[in-house]
Amino acid sequence: MTTTTTETANRPELAIRDLFNKSQSGNKTSPALKKFNQAALEKLEALKFPDRKHEMYTFVGTRELVATEFALAASGTIAKEQVDALIYSNSKNSCLVFVDGAFCEELSDISALGAGVRLTPLSEAIEQAEVSDYLLATVKDENDVFSAMNGALVSDGLVLEITENTTVDVPLQILYISSESKTPVLHCPRILIFARRSSELNVAVKFSGGATSCFVNAVQDILVEENAHITYSQFQDDSAWHFSKLRTTQKRASRFISSNAMSGAHLARCHYEMWLTEPGAELQLNSLSVLHKEEQAHNYVQIHHQAEHCTSTQLFRNLVDDKGRSSIDGTVVVHPGAQLTSSEQLINNLMLSDDCRADNKPNLKIYADDVKCTHGATVGQLNEDQVFYLKTRGLSEATARTLLTRSFAESMIQTAPSPQVAEDWRNVLLKKLGANE
Amino acid sequence: MLEIKDLHAGSEGNEILKGISLSVKKGEIHAIMGPNGSGKSTLAKVLSGHPAYKITSGEILFEGKDLQGVSAEDRALNGIFMGYQYPVEVPGVNNAEFLRMAYNARLVKQGKEELDPMDFDDLLQSKMDMLGMEVKYKERNLNDGFSGGEKKKNETLQMALLEPKLAILDETDSGLDIDALRVVADGVNKLYTKDKALILITHYQRLLDYIKPDYVHVLSKGCIIKSGEKGLALELEAQGYDWLTKV
Ligand SMILES: Nc1ncnc2c1ncn2[C@@H]1O[C@H](COP(=O)(O)OP(=O)(O)OP(=O)(O)O)[C@@H](O)[C@H]1O
Ligand SMILES: [Mg+2]
Repeated sequence: MTTTTTETANRPELAIRDLFNKSQSGNKTSPALKKFNQAALEKLEALKFPDRKHEMYTFVGTRELVATEFALAASGTIAKEQVDALIYSNSKNSCLVFVDGAFCEELSDISALGAGVRLTPLSEAIEQAEVSDYLLATVKDENDVFSAMNGALVSDGLVLEITENTTVDVPLQILYISSESKTPVLHCPRILIFARRSSELNVAVKFSGGATSCFVNAVQDILVEENAHITYSQFQDDSAWHFSKLRTTQKRASRFISSNAMSGAHLARCHYEMWLTEPGAELQLNSLSVLHKEEQAHNYVQIHHQAEHCTSTQLFRNLVDDKGRSSIDGTVVVHPGAQLTSSEQLINNLMLSDDCRADNKPNLKIYADDVKCTHGATVGQLNEDQVFYLKTRGLSEATARTLLTRSFAESMIQTAPSPQVAEDWRNVLLKKLGANE
Repeated sequence: MLEIKDLHAGSEGNEILKGISLSVKKGEIHAIMGPNGSGKSTLAKVLSGHPAYKITSGEILFEGKDLQGVSAEDRALNGIFMGYQYPVEVPGVNNAEFLRMAYNARLVKQGKEELDPMDFDDLLQSKMDMLGMEVKYKERNLNDGFSGGEKKKNETLQMALLEPKLAILDETDSGLDIDALRVVADGVNKLYTKDKALILITHYQRLLDYIKPDYVHVLSKGCIIKSGEKGLALELEAQGYDWLTKV
């Protein structure tokens, strides 16, 4: 097949080819999935792993990650109790559980989802032309090597279809959990959601697991068809390396509201690639990160306005302490003809130490004339007048600071799609700051 | 209760208070008046322990103890309350929750048990009723988006809850309409008992019609240039400060 790309590939790309060959030797894989894997591998080899000057990775040091030799994870076991503790009380009968990147039917429970939700393993669904065409198209346009890597190595995943006019009235939880591993392992979980016309779904994704040598490299693709409404949340509370790509395509009058929280990791990165392809689509991105010690959380955002009358709003809040690092690299592209686009981006960073770092790189590319696009960023410390005010009412210095820090995060926590998710974020994120009294 | 002795204080090398002496005993109400920029708010902030102001000489004794080096929170816990001229807005912090934290901090300091949210709510409601405050004050965030008058009411509410030994109210009357002023003044009068003391910083005689001071002091350019009884306030209102400062 394509030998030319292999010749120019460097050692890390060769290592992936090696993993690819191993994963392909299992005979479970369907021909269509093999084709997709192969296309993604070629894309990976063409894109190559980023060097320091890579524009998509300006703030993200991937050298250590790329230099680490990962093995593909064999699916480990996780005790049912451990999973139960991570399932939100309102999703007990509507949860999909992935262990070490692979869907685990025994730990999942879909009894409350109803007939309007269809679940198919990726290896099976990809035999349908619609699914394989969609996925192959994403590979063709892929610009992120890590997402291509997921495509090359994914051995299975899940395709969800919310049928036309279905309102799923229980929140769906998708839990990705990693088992402990002493040696570096790689997980490539993947989901693809088709939200058909006028359907409605509330989905809460959570990445969990404390495995310190684990690299979770996830991809979520969501097609939001005409008038469909998706409320999405994602919570990164996992391993040493966490990359995830969320790619959405929105049709006419659809709505996608996303609230994400990042607890940071050795290196955590979320890539958002959002396409507003038909008039009247509405997109909202809210994101909170709380970082301490040497944790990092990075966001790379690309929003494409391709049709008129679409709106996108982004609100990012990062709370960075100790030697934590955060970055938001966000571009809004208003394509020709996308008149009456309304786009807003606001970034607030709260820096709690001298050694922490928060970078912002907002970018607007506008190829239409009648648009309203704004962006703004604030970087600051706690307001000392507020600290003093609280102290004069008898609160200790520490309590005052904690309360103010907490309030900074709280406003984002309140965008969580359910009280259960909000409470989960609070428990993890605020506890890190000693702020959960 | 409070003894200020030849106090010199300022910020970043600027001396703002230039030798103030003032003695406030239990059961007394003192009014401090004076032109804009004379140092009234600075005095209040120095008393409450604001880190931006340094005492260069002189001393402040509260219940016989030197306040030098005592943190703002300890002053508050020991019973000093400052009502701000410009109360600070704190978005994201619920007012009722904040009030409960402040109230409980005081209880803990006194070695008592904290009030649970239910009991506290009863207490808070009673104080709010006394000050004619609507429920919205509980739900909103601390001073966030409050009007000038609403902020002053919220300051008074805090005072009502914390029951300080010494309250320094910096222009609590400014921004209040006449009805609100009456309610706030009534509230302050109810809280004020013979074992407490009050310092009222004001520009207006109007307040002093409701809360009767024992002494009136005029501060000008960082010095108390005249002290007298309540009649002095009337004279000031009629004639301004010029006749005093021109001496
Ligand atoms: N932190 C500071 N740094 C420098 N100068 C200050 C500071 N705080 C106050 N001042 C100055 O000290 C003087 C006294 O200010 P202060 O606020 O105490 O006046 P005031 O008597 O309360 O006036 P008003 O009646 O307008 O409220 C003013 O000239 C003010 O500009
Ligand atoms: Mg003043």
